[in-house]
Amino acid sequence: MNYMVETKGLSKRFGNETAVKNLELKIPKGEVYGFLGPNGAGKTTTIRMLLGLMKPTSGSIHIFNQDLTKEKISILKKVGSLVENPSYYPHLTAYENLEALRKILGVPKKRIYEVLETVRLTDVAHKKVKGYSLGMKQRLVIAASLLNEPQLLILDEPTNGLDPSGIIEIRDLIKRLPSEYGMTVLISSHLLSEIDQIATSVGIISRGKMIFQDTIETMREHAQIKISLKSSNSHRAYQSLLTKGKQVDYKDGLIYLDDQSDEDVAEVVNSLVHDGFSIYRVEEEKRSLEDIFLQMTSKEDVK
Amino acid sequence: MIRRLLQVDFMKMKRKGFWFLTFLGPFGVVALQMVNYGLRKDYLLQQSEDNWGHYLGNITVFTPLALVLGIVILTSFIASVENETNAWKQLLALPVSKLSVYLSKFTVLAGLLFVSSILLAVFTLSFGIFLNLGEQIPWIELLKDSFYPFFAGLPVLALHLWIATVSTNQGIPITVGVLGTILTYSSYVLPDWVIWKWPSLNNGWNEPVINVWLGIGIGLLLYIGGMLDFARRDVK
Ligand SMILES: Nc1ncnc2c1ncn2[C@@H]1O[C@H](COP(=O)(O)OP(=O)(O)OP(=O)(O)O)[C@@H](O)[C@H]1O
Ligand SMILES: [Mg+2]
Repeated sequence: MNYMVETKGLSKRFGNETAVKNLELKIPKGEVYGFLGPNGAGKTTTIRMLLGLMKPTSGSIHIFNQDLTKEKISILKKVGSLVENPSYYPHLTAYENLEALRKILGVPKKRIYEVLETVRLTDVAHKKVKGYSLGMKQRLVIAASLLNEPQLLILDEPTNGLDPSGIIEIRDLIKRLPSEYGMTVLISSHLLSEIDQIATSVGIISRGKMIFQDTIETMREHAQIKISLKSSNSHRAYQSLLTKGKQVDYKDGLIYLDDQSDEDVAEVVNSLVHDGFSIYRVEEEKRSLEDIFLQMTSKEDVK
Repeated sequence: MIRRLLQVDFMKMKRKGFWFLTFLGPFGVVALQMVNYGLRKDYLLQQSEDNWGHYLGNITVFTPLALVLGIVILTSFIASVENETNAWKQLLALPVSKLSVYLSKFTVLAGLLFVSSILLAVFTLSFGIFLNLGEQIPWIELLKDSFYPFFAGLPVLALHLWIATVSTNQGIPITVGVLGTILTYSSYVLPDWVIWKWPSLNNGWNEPVINVWLGIGIGLLLYIGGMLDFARRDVK
């Protein structure tokens, strides 16, 4: 298979600390690839290496099937990016900021107006960026990343600092990019919920290691919600369910159900009530990202 | 590409006072002599038969200091434009080579300092004529005094650009700048190999042009070293 981005054994060490370990990133064309991991997992470090801002300690990077170390400039012509906190020149206007990038990229001036329109900054285009709100600055750097109509867009936590409506707006924009412009998007985040809503593929990184990489559907299976049940005499209730052959777990006074269709839940509740247990709570627990990490890493260990 | 980078670098200098500083340096040097000659012109004109020579001598006392201060301030300005929101990562993720980005910064700074040197020549000449120092204008001396320090100061410029672009701690360029200014101020006691002495054009051979060639040669070496180190490092 041809990948837009493919890394092999990518590693980065800072002194004694290895921030990225043997990463095998594979991003198919036309995907929105969600790059997920908690703070300090190595997302930004990976992205910096993909953009040639940092040299890998070892491993290789191919983008558009070209070797990054050999053809960096020709690759970067077709890449748009946003790394960590927004970078801009505060003493210049939004228009001048984009013009400074446009000149280097060598794209027509009309692109400036187009991207300003895309992120809805046209009205303030000639005001100094110094006075912008955080959300406006973030939108400006997103506009900047789109200037050269990139084939690959790399966004490191692009919704940082945006309010809920701004987040939705950017999310909708990112979702449209692959179908409307044929872009492939790499978007990093530490929020599963955010990735969940826009990504079509997911890579999860934890302490520098890729612990999961697949389609979003496959991940959803891992990230299944749990049903917890609290009843009188929980432990005995749990045992009674076991004897009836139900798939259940018991932890800290709560019963967890493995099967989660409405019918299954109803059946379990029914049988408990029938056996004289009082049901206090039936709750759906969305597993946090951290839980999924734990689950996935423990699975890795078993293999 | 380098032409486009230069245009962009000049664009980023807008509203930052770069041009004002470029003007202020040479103006300050001549303004000190305006005060000096304004207060005691008659006395100063008695000091020597060669009024122009004496006047140029007075000017050159302050030129090295203004030059080194200018280098320190301009390099820290140009680095701060990129450091302020860490725009290096945005700039260097564009399809440009790090070498040309560095070359562009150096060219801008050298250009501004060269403009300062031209202004210094113009201001020196104008005030000299205003003072009525005589018909025989020593053109060669005037040009030497205005442009030799620029070339002799290139190593300091190359060193400062390197320090300002690679240090993550902004205290370092400032510290080096302060030390350099002190060294320049006390250049007469320094040995010839100290680069901060070179803009004074003094050396053991009494041959100012040696400082010019040294400045260009060592300046080039320091420039290349700084550029290669900048390119080798991970971007901030
Ligand atoms: N320039 C550097 N020098 C030393 N250590 C670094 C450097 N950059 C990153 N690290 C370390 O590498 C690890 C990964 O950092 P990175 O910024 O890639 O994480 P991240 O996944 O982007 O986290 P976040 O969600 O907080 O942005 C961290 O432990 C960090 O301390
Ligand atoms: Mg990060």
